[in-house]
Amino acid sequence: MQGSIYLVIAYAIVWLGLFAYLAFLSMRIRGVQTELAAVEELVRESQEKKENNYGN
Amino acid sequence: MALTKQATDMISPAEEHLNSVDRGHPARLPIAALILGGLSCIGMLASIWLIFFYTPIDALQGVTQRIFYFHVPTAWTGMLGFVVMTVASIVYLIKPDERLDWIARASGEVGAVFLTFLLITGSLWGKPIWGAWWVWDPKLTAALILWFMFIGYLMLRSYMGRTPESARVGAVWSIVGVIDVPIIYFSVLWWRGQHPGPQITSDGGLPPAAVLTLMVSLATFTLLYCFLMVLVYQLQRLQTQAQRLHAIVE
Repeated sequence: MQGSIYLVIAYAIVWLGLFAYLAFLSMRIRGVQTELAAVEELVRESQEKKENNYGN
Repeated sequence: MALTKQATDMISPAEEHLNSVDRGHPARLPIAALILGGLSCIGMLASIWLIFFYTPIDALQGVTQRIFYFHVPTAWTGMLGFVVMTVASIVYLIKPDERLDWIARASGEVGAVFLTFLLITGSLWGKPIWGAWWVWDPKLTAALILWFMFIGYLMLRSYMGRTPESARVGAVWSIVGVIDVPIIYFSVLWWRGQHPGPQITSDGGLPPAAVLTLMVSLATFTLLYCFLMVLVYQLQRLQTQAQRLHAIVE
């Protein structure tokens, strides 16, 4: 009976740990994607400004 | 007019980076991640079924022995993670390519996660069987050293940032640390300790049902390692691109 508790705890830790790590990873990926989109926009804006300056 | 044409014809570094980002489809997960994720899920369900409904209960250790079917695969993936990290690092030293560094960093992170699970499941098996959460057995000590090597690597890489120097120092660190991998594996044969020896032997250490369960579990954890590797590699790629674009804007 006592062994069952350790077994349940071991499997629960691995499962919950894996899910937590997956959630943490997807949050990091989403965060960097948002950051990338914002910086891309900044770069595009600065490029457009440059092109307009050349045009004038 | 000629000046305008010349300006639009010239490709700036920013434009080049934007094009490379577009080619990589940063918003989408690679198809390999979806396939590996799906296979890992199926494998995990099959492993759980085999562990709890197919494999017979161990006569000596009882149900606690079932921790073994997750403990051994986490050991395998943890050590695999360190070996992959070292191989990628060695190749990086010969041919510096940032993709190899991304593989090394990804393997370091994923391997550390699995090795943490190894130490936790080992302690949870040790308490009811040995009566102690931890003993200074050669195998356990070597596994703990490898865990510290992983943590040291991750801290070092995080502290030094994404530079070629950081990649080179990380490579040297992993080459030194990988010596511990065969020590973990052979320690039960080289030194007398409390940790059980090899379970799959020619004289029948484990019954066939237990061997099948272990093999399925090992395959599942290997798939899971590959799946997490693809995700962390993707993360490394995106972080590098974001860092470069930041540098251009600033």
